[in-house]
Amino acid sequence: MILDGTLPARVAGIDSLSPTLKRFRFEPERGCFPTAAPGAHVLVTLRGPERVWKNAYSLVTPPEARDAYAIIVRRVEESRGGSHFLHDHLRPGDRVEIGTPASLFPIASLARRHVLIGGGIGLTPFLSFLPVLRERGAAFELHQYCTDAETETFGRLLAEAGGAVTIHGSTSRRSVAEILADQPLGTHVYTCGPERLMAAVEAAALDLGWPSHSIHKESFGGAEGGKPFSVRLARSGRSIAVSDTQSLLEALEAAGIEAPCLCRGGACGVCLTGVIDGEVEHRDHVLTEAERADGKLIATCVSRARSDALVLDL
Amino acid sequence: MGIQFRKDERFRENFSYVNSDAGVLRFPFPFGEDRYMYSVNIEPHIPGGPTPAFAHAFDIDEHYIAECQERAMVLADDPGRCQVLPHMMPAQWDTLELLMESLAADYPEHFSLDKDGDTWRWINRPLGIDQSFVFGRPETLPCAPFEYITRQAQGDFTLQDQRDDNLFVDGGMVTTQADWSLDFDIGMSFHEWHGPVPLAHETGVFDRALRFLLRLQYGHPVRRLNWTMTINPRLDTSPENYPDWGPDRTTVTPENVAEKVHLRVELQTLFRLPRSNAILFGIRCYLLSLKDIERVEKWRKRLHRVLTTLPPELAEYKGLTRYRDTIIAHLAPHDDGAELSPGIQPDQTVLPPA
Amino acid sequence: MTDQGIKSRPIYATLRRDSSGRRHLYVSAGSGPPPDALAQDGLESWTVAPTTCEGTLPRPEGVGERRFRSTRYLMETLGRRLAGERMGLRLYVEGPEDFLWDVYGVAQAHGLGRQEIFLKQSGTLARRVQCVHCKTFNEGVTTTIVRCAGCGANLFVRDHFSRRLSAFQGVKIDAEQPGDVPQAERAYP
Repeated sequence: MILDGTLPARVAGIDSLSPTLKRFRFEPERGCFPTAAPGAHVLVTLRGPERVWKNAYSLVTPPEARDAYAIIVRRVEESRGGSHFLHDHLRPGDRVEIGTPASLFPIASLARRHVLIGGGIGLTPFLSFLPVLRERGAAFELHQYCTDAETETFGRLLAEAGGAVTIHGSTSRRSVAEILADQPLGTHVYTCGPERLMAAVEAAALDLGWPSHSIHKESFGGAEGGKPFSVRLARSGRSIAVSDTQSLLEALEAAGIEAPCLCRGGACGVCLTGVIDGEVEHRDHVLTEAERADGKLIATCVSRARSDALVLDL
Repeated sequence: MGIQFRKDERFRENFSYVNSDAGVLRFPFPFGEDRYMYSVNIEPHIPGGPTPAFAHAFDIDEHYIAECQERAMVLADDPGRCQVLPHMMPAQWDTLELLMESLAADYPEHFSLDKDGDTWRWINRPLGIDQSFVFGRPETLPCAPFEYITRQAQGDFTLQDQRDDNLFVDGGMVTTQADWSLDFDIGMSFHEWHGPVPLAHETGVFDRALRFLLRLQYGHPVRRLNWTMTINPRLDTSPENYPDWGPDRTTVTPENVAEKVHLRVELQTLFRLPRSNAILFGIRCYLLSLKDIERVEKWRKRLHRVLTTLPPELAEYKGLTRYRDTIIAHLAPHDDGAELSPGIQPDQTVLPPA
Repeated sequence: MTDQGIKSRPIYATLRRDSSGRRHLYVSAGSGPPPDALAQDGLESWTVAPTTCEGTLPRPEGVGERRFRSTRYLMETLGRRLAGERMGLRLYVEGPEDFLWDVYGVAQAHGLGRQEIFLKQSGTLARRVQCVHCKTFNEGVTTTIVRCAGCGANLFVRDHFSRRLSAFQGVKIDAEQPGDVPQAERAYP
C-alpha cells in the first residue's frame, strides 16, 4: 500500500473510561484505513483555536480493524500537548487528521515467549498486541503496573482483551526482577510506560543476563524539556527560541515551519536534520555513536543544544 | 482498456519473446548517466516515473501470463525456489493482502477483490482464477499464502525479517533471478547475502542501505534499479541451472549479438509490511534485446559508454567478460559522443521499425 | 588460503567470557580444556573424547566437566539441555567450522540469539561444501576445486557461506566451457 499524506477521519465515538482516561474512536471519511501493525502509533493533528498539536498515540485496535482506529488518552493537567483539547473539546463528528500508522514496537518474530510490562497509560500498545499474540497461539504474559485507584479501570480494559494478565496496584506488586527471573530461553520482554519503569525493566533484564536484543522499549512521546536555547535556520536566516518546556520540533512547528517528523520520540529517524554549527545533546535512539560524535545530525523531536545556539540546515 | 497479454512466449529452449513498441518504450533503462557504479540509488516508490513501468505498486505488462506460466514450470522442476521460514507466516499474509489490494486497485479490469469480513474472494481474469478463502487460514488456499499470490505476480519476491538491528532473508519466491540461490541464501543477514557483490562493501554502500531500510516506514515504499545482462531471453538464470545456461555465454558472435544479448533490469521495490514488520522486496525483471535497445538513440549511446567504462570486477561479477567487447564493437559505430540528457527516459515517443 | 573478498565467510574472534551472562557453557568438538579466558568459576565444559578412546569414556577431571563419545551425542544432549534452560545462558563453541554452525543451529532452534553464542574455529579448516546444482553436501573438502559426490560436477569452492547449512557454496567451475577445469589446489588443510 502506497500512502500519501494524512488519513482524513471523523470522531465516531468517545468513551469515558475513568475520570482522566478517554477512548476515542475514529472512522475514515471514505473507504477503510490501512492495516496497522500491532503496537503501531499514529500522529494525530489537533487544530485548536490558538495552536496546532501533533501528538503520537498508540492504536489500541488490532490490525484487522480497518473500519475504525481507536486511541486512549489520559488528560494531563500540565499538558504541553493536546490531551486537554482532546478531552474537553473534541466531539463526535469532528474531523481529525491521522497520519499513516507506523510501527517502532514490533512483536519479535523469533521470540518463543513474550513478557509485556505496562505502566499506567503505557498499556495502550499492548492492547493491540494481545489479540495478535492470542491468534498466533504465542506464549505470553502481561503485567500492568498502576495505582490502586486505577486497577479496576485497567482490569476492565484487559478483561475485554483476555489472556494471561496480572494487574499490579501500588500496594501489592511483584517486582519486575521477580517477573523476569526464571523465564525460558528465547523470551522477549516489551515495556511501555514511565521512563523509570522502562529503565527498571531494562536494568533487571540485563542483570539477569538477558541480551539487549530481547529487550524492547516503546519510547515515543518521551520528549522532555531542558535548558532553553536558540536555533538559526541557515536557509531562511530565521532565528527561533526553544523554551525550557518545549522540544526543538515543537518550537519549529510553533514558528510555522514544516519540519518532518513521525514518532516524536527519537526512534524513527524521520526528523533528522543537518547541523551546521553548535553542539548537540543527543537524546535519540537512532544515531550511531560515530554519528553522535560527528555532530552533523540532530533528531529535532527529542535532542537539544548543549551550546547556547545551533545552526540548522533548514 | 486492458493489457493485451502475449500467451505464446517461451523463456527457455526454443525461445520466443517479443516486446511491442510500447513495451520497448516503457522499459526501465537503468543508466541515468554515462558511467555506472554502485550507489544507494533509492527513491520513494510513488506512482509515476520516467517510463510507465513505474506507474503502479506492482507492474504488470504484456508478458504477465507467459511469466506466470514460466514460474509454474520452474516450481514444478524445483519446488525449493519458493521457501519461507516458519516464523514468517504473518509476513505471508501481509504479502497476500498487499499484492491483492494493489493489483485490484491498479488493474480493476484484470483483478478484483471482494471482502466479507474475513472471507475474501479473489478474481484473476488473465489466469482464470476465482478463489474464495478465509484470510488468516492457510488451509483455505491451495498452497501457502505467499506462494499462492507470488505465483500470480511478475518478478521475484523475498521476505526480510527485521531483528537484532539487521534484516534476514527469511523467505522468497525466486524463479527469475540473476544468478543467486534462495535455497542457499535463505536465513542470511543483509551483509551475508550481499557477500559476493564486489567493490560495494568497501564503499559502505551496504551499511548505508541497511541503516536506511531498517527505518523504512509502512505506506512509504522505496525503489531502485539494478541490472545485468543475459544471453537469450532466459528468465531463470539460477545458479542451480548454471550448467545448462552457462555455455550460452560462449555463443555470442558479431553476427548474433543484437538478437542474443539482453539487458536485464530489476525494478526493485521495498515495502514495510504491517503485521510482521518484515520488508517485502520485489525484484521485477525486465528483458530487452540489444536490437530493441538500439532503436532508442539515447539508450544505445549510453549503453555503449557505460560498458566501455565499467570496472572489470563488476563486469566479471555480472558475467559479461566473455562478450562485453563484442557488444562494445557493435555499438561503437552508432555513438557519436554527443551529450545525452540526464535520466533514463527514452526522449522519443516513436520507434524506427525493428 | 586466499581471501575471495566475499563477506559472508565468518571471521572468528578469540573466546572470552561474556560477563553479562549468568551461566556459561563451553562445548568443544575436541578433547582439550577450555581456553584460560573462559575457565573461571562456574564454567561448564563439554568435550568430545578423541577417537583413540574407541568408545570408552574417560572420566572428567574437574567439576562441571562432561565428556561425550561423539559430537553427535554431544549435540543431542545439548538440545535436551537447552530445552529446559532459562534466560541468562552464554554458550561458547569451539571446533571445526561445520561443528560450530551445527551447534549454532541447535542453539538458535532453542531460542538463543547471536548475542548469546560465541564461536571459535579450531582444528581442521576442511570445509563442508554444498553443490548448488544437485544440493549434495561434500564433507571434509580441503581443495579449491572438488568433484561433487552427487552429480560429478567439478565444483569451485566459493567463500560464500551459509550459517544455516554450515556449508560453503560449490559452483561448477567449467559450466561455461565444459572440460576447462584448472588444477585443484590444497587450500583448507
